[in-house]
Amino acid sequence: MKRALSAALAAAICAAPVAAEDFKWAGTTDPQTMDPHAVNSAPVLGFLNNVYEGLVRRGKDMSIEPALATSWEPIGAGEGWRFYLRDGVTFHDGSTFDAEDVLFSYQRASSEVSDTRSWFAPVSEVKMVDAQTIEIYTTAPNPIFPDSIANWMIMDKGWAETNSAARPDKENGNYATLNTNGTGAFMVTAREPGLRTELAPHDGWWDEATHNITKAEFTPIQNAATAVAALLSGEVDMINPVPIQDAARLQGQDGVQIIQGIEARVIMLGFAQDAETLKYGADAGKPNPFQDARVRKAVAKAVNVDAILKTIMRGNAEPASQLVSPAMRGYSEAHSTRPAFDVDGAKALLAEAGYADGFAFGLKCPNNRYLNDEAVCQAVTSMLAKVGITAQLDAMPVQNYWPELRADNFDMYLLGWSPGTFDAEHPIRFLAATPNAEKKLGSWNFGGYSNARIDALLPMIQSEIDDGKRQAMLDESAQILQEETAYVPMYVQPLVWGTRDNISLTQRPDNFFILRWVNVQ
Amino acid sequence: MLTYVIKRVLQSALVLLIVGLVAFSMFRFVGDPIDNLLGQERTDADIARLRVELGLDQPFPVQYYKFLEGAVQGDFGVSYRQGRPVGEILLERAPATLELAAVSGFLAISIGIGLGVFTAIRKDGFLANAIMSISLIGVSLPTFLIGILLIYVFAVELGWLPSFGRGDVVQFGWWSTGLLTASGLKAIVLPAITLGLYQMTLIMRLVRSEMLEVLRQDYVRFARARGLKARTVNFRHALKNTLVPVITVTGLQLGSIIAFAIITETVFQWPGVGLLFINAIQFVDIPVMAAYLMLISVMFVAINLIVDLLYFAIDPRLRTDGKGAH
Repeated sequence: MKRALSAALAAAICAAPVAAEDFKWAGTTDPQTMDPHAVNSAPVLGFLNNVYEGLVRRGKDMSIEPALATSWEPIGAGEGWRFYLRDGVTFHDGSTFDAEDVLFSYQRASSEVSDTRSWFAPVSEVKMVDAQTIEIYTTAPNPIFPDSIANWMIMDKGWAETNSAARPDKENGNYATLNTNGTGAFMVTAREPGLRTELAPHDGWWDEATHNITKAEFTPIQNAATAVAALLSGEVDMINPVPIQDAARLQGQDGVQIIQGIEARVIMLGFAQDAETLKYGADAGKPNPFQDARVRKAVAKAVNVDAILKTIMRGNAEPASQLVSPAMRGYSEAHSTRPAFDVDGAKALLAEAGYADGFAFGLKCPNNRYLNDEAVCQAVTSMLAKVGITAQLDAMPVQNYWPELRADNFDMYLLGWSPGTFDAEHPIRFLAATPNAEKKLGSWNFGGYSNARIDALLPMIQSEIDDGKRQAMLDESAQILQEETAYVPMYVQPLVWGTRDNISLTQRPDNFFILRWVNVQ
Repeated sequence: MLTYVIKRVLQSALVLLIVGLVAFSMFRFVGDPIDNLLGQERTDADIARLRVELGLDQPFPVQYYKFLEGAVQGDFGVSYRQGRPVGEILLERAPATLELAAVSGFLAISIGIGLGVFTAIRKDGFLANAIMSISLIGVSLPTFLIGILLIYVFAVELGWLPSFGRGDVVQFGWWSTGLLTASGLKAIVLPAITLGLYQMTLIMRLVRSEMLEVLRQDYVRFARARGLKARTVNFRHALKNTLVPVITVTGLQLGSIIAFAIITETVFQWPGVGLLFINAIQFVDIPVMAAYLMLISVMFVAINLIVDLLYFAIDPRLRTDGKGAH
């Protein structure tokens, strides 16, 4: 009797089987807005890539392919780019897409109140030639401009103006913060900020749909253990990310699969190079050894990256040799070896630089920004101790970390960098160029690394149309940065997603989850 | 009487003001909201501009004053993260937390009293001893662990109950309830147990010791001697007399159930104000943090004030307004 009762109870409690094409997924962060021009953050842009589209888009291998523009060509000798727009594209509300929407979206996305305006810094003027043609002029020749606007999403002019959302409003929100009207494969059918967002396929989509989803729902789940449980119990079909320490265990479970890849983010160590003295540790106040390239090189040799990857990353990451990963455009094949782990070599370099007896300094590290960041810093600390230099590790939440870095409160620090343009020029501009607020250069170069040749190469790289010549300059930059050990690139961060085993999808290195590549079996 | 009430209310207001001041002085240690608001390609000029725009360049007493100025007019500012009025967000999230608190409070009281009486009557029984031992788990295991444990047993292994969320809700004006749908009822079971377990154990142990005390009293023995049924003696005469301290403790615990819902809500992704607060800390969403902390302190202060006023009503010695007191 008792057994029959509990069986009946179990049957009653178990959810009714859902249609196979219902797809539910969970991530740690809810996109904070549905406005594609309000903020420039990966959770927002990644999510909205399913809803809005740009003139170009990125394919499964990150390559640029036509989207709302069918083709594009340089104007004259590099004065700008001309885009030919796709015919017969409609927004979710049924209105037609044309050049006016592109012009409007340019004005909206480049306006003073938009966080995406830095994408349009090279743009001098946007001209509407006719309803299907748009010309974007740049102040200097800009070979990678089409690559740099893959996340610039086009919004319907009439819809935005009717709903008084002609400009984004991040601070107070407006109609476009909660509602969408794009041209993408999916439209948002319900939106409860922080709780759930529901999507349905856009029937009038211009491209052929390869997915078989009829309804999709995104729920943010902050707690990693809860997300894993939700995946195991089948309440969600996919979670991103899977905690690295759970990946191996999940792999062996029935009903779920782990999808692993390499993210675009390179994790590296940076140094206070413009500081005259050390700020932390027993040697605070003494001259700063990290101004000497030999000391920086010694650090690179002392860090056993393979050991870090094996123990902390559980074999999920790959070593990095330069500021970008091999998947990025402009990666330097010629400089793809990182300094070998060599304790004696490191000691010899330190002795040569006059630090045979070592020294003590401060290492700053975030503890909730990158995968296992604090553990990596602890490992680095003990590896450096073996060559005689003592790091005083100070790990903190990322909310406190950036202000510390901005205030130059470090001798050495940990940084991860994912190039927004997926091009090797990006980290040179932000991390290697001499900081210059006016020219908006080196804004993340906290250590103040400075090299005249790099500063001279950067504008040339930015305006070189010829691919071969451009790559030669990128190679030269990579070589300089390696020789001077401007940073110590350690590894490319892994990407670990978990899905039910009846789901097939594509994982892209930018960690964007693209719904139109999902199939439910 | 009136002087006493006024005095207590003024004291409460002062406590609230101080709590707010302490909270505002702490916010800069939580971190800097700027980096979450601006993307990778921000410049130093953007950072400076936004800091001025949000009033973060002002010293914290000024920020606090501005917050108070808005708060007394019912305006808690706009969430940095969501770009919506904080008052609106709190109203949206409050029903989830209040329902969870109510259900777990109900479970804690009913099960706690029942088990308390049982373990007192069967003082030396095997089952009673077992319950007492097991109840130690309720006080010694952290909420987080209990929640995860329940999820793995009932959601992952047995698949009976959902592991996260609130299920479907029904909207009544601004109030949303999950108690009227099957999925909502299923969803509340695990979080309510997790949240109420500590209180349940507390009430059970309190009832048990009070019962043991009362059962030794003469009037219980006389009642038994009169030949009254055991049930009547235990529940009508004994239990009634144990309830006074239980009610006091339960009242005071109500506040902490709501306040400590933070952890339970995080484990079960329960869309209440606690989860909102955790999120706000992560993104240094100062307006949300400020409003939440103020609301929670208002609640605690109000409960204490009510308790004080009740004592005043009950205890005649407090009522003399100082005249003739020795």
